[in-house]
Amino acid sequence: MVAATSRNVAVVGSAQTQLKAAWSDRQHVDLISEAVARALLGTGLRIEDVDFVIDSGSDFLDGRSISNCGFLGAMGAHHKEESRVEEDGLWSALYGATKIASGSASVGLIVAYSKSSESDPNDYWTSLAEPFTQRPVGLDQNAVAGLFAQRYLTRFGVPASALRAVTHRAWAAADGNTFVDATLEMLQDEYWSQEIASPLRRSDMARPVDGAVAVLLASKDVARQIGGSPVWVTGMGSAIDQHFIAARDGATLPAAAAAASAAYRMAGASGASDFDIVEVSAGSTAGELMVLEALGMAEPGKAIDLYADGASPGLNPSGGALPADVVMASGLVRLHEVAAQLGGRSDHAPQGARRGLAHASGGLGMQNHCVITLETS
Amino acid sequence: MTNNATSTRETMGSMTSRLSMPYTLTAGKAMGTFLAELGAQRIIGSRCAACATVRVPAQDFCGDCGAETGELVAVPSTGELTGWTVTERGILAFVLLDGTDVPLLHRIVDTDVSSLVLGARVSARWAAEPAGNVMDITGFAIDAESTVGALAPTNELLAPIEQLAYRMELTYEHSYGHFYGSLFDSVKNDRRIRGIRCPSCRNVLLPPRGFCDVCFVPTKDWIDIPDTGTVQACSVVHIEFVGQRMTPPYVYAEIVLDGTATRLIHSVGGLSAEEARSGIVKPGSRVKAVWSDRATGSLADIEYFQVIDGSA
Ligand SMILES: [Zn+2]
Ligand SMILES: [Zn+2]
Repeated sequence: MVAATSRNVAVVGSAQTQLKAAWSDRQHVDLISEAVARALLGTGLRIEDVDFVIDSGSDFLDGRSISNCGFLGAMGAHHKEESRVEEDGLWSALYGATKIASGSASVGLIVAYSKSSESDPNDYWTSLAEPFTQRPVGLDQNAVAGLFAQRYLTRFGVPASALRAVTHRAWAAADGNTFVDATLEMLQDEYWSQEIASPLRRSDMARPVDGAVAVLLASKDVARQIGGSPVWVTGMGSAIDQHFIAARDGATLPAAAAAASAAYRMAGASGASDFDIVEVSAGSTAGELMVLEALGMAEPGKAIDLYADGASPGLNPSGGALPADVVMASGLVRLHEVAAQLGGRSDHAPQGARRGLAHASGGLGMQNHCVITLETS
Repeated sequence: MTNNATSTRETMGSMTSRLSMPYTLTAGKAMGTFLAELGAQRIIGSRCAACATVRVPAQDFCGDCGAETGELVAVPSTGELTGWTVTERGILAFVLLDGTDVPLLHRIVDTDVSSLVLGARVSARWAAEPAGNVMDITGFAIDAESTVGALAPTNELLAPIEQLAYRMELTYEHSYGHFYGSLFDSVKNDRRIRGIRCPSCRNVLLPPRGFCDVCFVPTKDWIDIPDTGTVQACSVVHIEFVGQRMTPPYVYAEIVLDGTATRLIHSVGGLSAEEARSGIVKPGSRVKAVWSDRATGSLADIEYFQVIDGSA
C-alpha cells in the first residue's frame, strides 16, 4: 500500500470558486460547475477522460436528501462512477488517490462544496451531536470550541489575548488571497470583542463561507503525459477521536497526530519540518494551535510562537480556514492551495517550496482529521 | 430574503424552505437506564473493567478501549468543575462527578459567572417534574459545602427508557440563481416558460441550467417554450397523503413540453373521478397548461395540465 500510492498519483489540476460570505445569486450547481470546469483547464483532459467522481457535501447544509443526486450534471458525473463522502473533501481525495493507486482508474475528479449561507450553520453542527445528552444541554460547535480552548489555554498557560496574533495573521494572508472575500478591514472592534463562547470571541471562530473546489487526480502515466511538473501525492492518513466531547483530551488532538504520523510514515518524512507549505483547517484560533502541535510543528502549548512576525512563511499562505471556512470543503481547498502553490499556479506561494501538507478536520469539535502530503518532482 | 432588486421589477431571488423531521430515537440499554434513573434523581455511570475507568452517562461500550461495559454504578450528584464556557445559550460545563474518570457535559445554573473557578465543588439541581430526559438535571450549581461522595453499587434499576420522540426543524433560504431565477421570474410576471439550449447536443433543457448535465458544456441560448406538450408516462393517484394539492383520484404525469428534451413532472386535471380512472390520460396524450390565479413564480402557478385534441 505504501509503495503503491507514493508518487504514483498526482494532482494534475485544481480550482476553486471565490469563497465568500454568501453566494446569494448562485445555486450549488453553479458553484460546482465553475470549479470543475476550471480544474480541467490547462490539463488537456476533458470530462470524458474522468473515470470517476467522488464528492463531499452535507445533506443537512444542502437542505435535501442525497443531494449529490441533484448535482451530478454540474460535477460532470453523467453516467460515471460517482460516490459521496459525508465528510470534508480531503477524505474524498484520500479515497480517490487510493482508487487510482490500486490501478482501477486513471483519472479521478474530487469535488467539495457548501453554501452554509442558505441555513444556520450552527444547526448543522448541532445535528452532529449525540441527541440524548449532548444536544439537549445546548451543545454546539461554538461551545465545544470554547470548552476546549479553556482547557488548552489553562493547561499551557497561554493567555487568551495571545490568540489575536493567530486571527490577525490568518486574515492578513486571506486579504492577499483573491479567492477569499475576507479583508483586514472586516476585523472591526465588534469582531474582536463579541463574546461567542468564552474564552473565545467572534474573531477566534472560523467564519463560514460559501464556495466550491475541484481537484483532478491522475495516475503516474497520465500525469507524465500531461507534462509540466506534476505534484505527487506522497502520504495520506486519517484518524478519528471519540464522539463524547467530555471524554476527549480537549487540549491536544491525538487523532490529528495519528493522521499526520500515518501520512509521514507513508511519505518517508521525518516530521512537519520536512514541509515547506502547511495548510491546515481549524474551527477556532485555539483549535489551529492544537492542530499545528498535533502535526509536530511545535511542542504542546508552544504553537503560538509560530505566529511571531516573519516566522513560518509556509504556514497557511492562503489564510487557512479561519477567515473562510467552507464546511465540508475547507480541507480540499487546502489541498488545492498546496497543489497550486507547489505547481506554480498560485500568487501567494512561498519561495522555492517543494513539499507541502494539507490538513482537514471534520465533525463536532474537530473530532476527525485527515492529512495528505504532496511533493513536486 | 435575498431578492436582488432591479430597476424594472422584482426578481425571484430565493425560496424559503422548512424541513421538520420526526424521529423516534432509541436509547439502548445503558443510556436508557441513565435517562430513566434521572427521574428518580439518581445518576448512573458505567465501569470499564478493561481500562479501569468509570464514565457517566453510562455507556454500553467504553469510548476509550471499546470494551463492553460490565457494570453499572450509582454515581454521586456532586463533583468538581473542570471546565466551562459562557455562550448565548447559557453556561456549558464539564463536571467531574465524584468517583468518575470522565466528566459529564452539562449546564451551570443558579450561579454567577464570576464565581466559577476550575476545581470548584458543584452539585446537581433537579427538575421539579421529571420528563425522562437529560434535562431532569437542570444543571449544576456551585456548592462549596458539598461533601465528596462515593460510587455505590446499583441494586434495583428502573427499566431503561427505550425511545424518545424527537423532531428536527431546519430552515433554509435557497438561492434560485440566474437560471431558475429567470425562469420563475418570467413564469410569475409573463406566464412565459423559458428553457435553455445546450450548444453541443442541441437539447432544450427545462428547468434551465448553466451546464448541460450530459455534455458538461455551458448552455447558451434561451428558448421560449410553449405551454403544450405530450404525456410520456402517467400514474393515477388514488391515495391521500400530506401535502397533496388535488383530491384523488387524479393523474400524475411526466410531460415533455413541445421542443424540450426534458420531462416535467406535473398533474393532469380537469377530469372527473371516472375519467381519471378510465385511462383517458395515457402516453402520447396531448396536454396544455391551465394557469392558476396564483402568481408565486413557480411551476405550481400551473394549476394542472388538461388533455387537448391531437393525441397520438
Ligand atoms: Zn475501557
Ligand atoms: Zn448537451
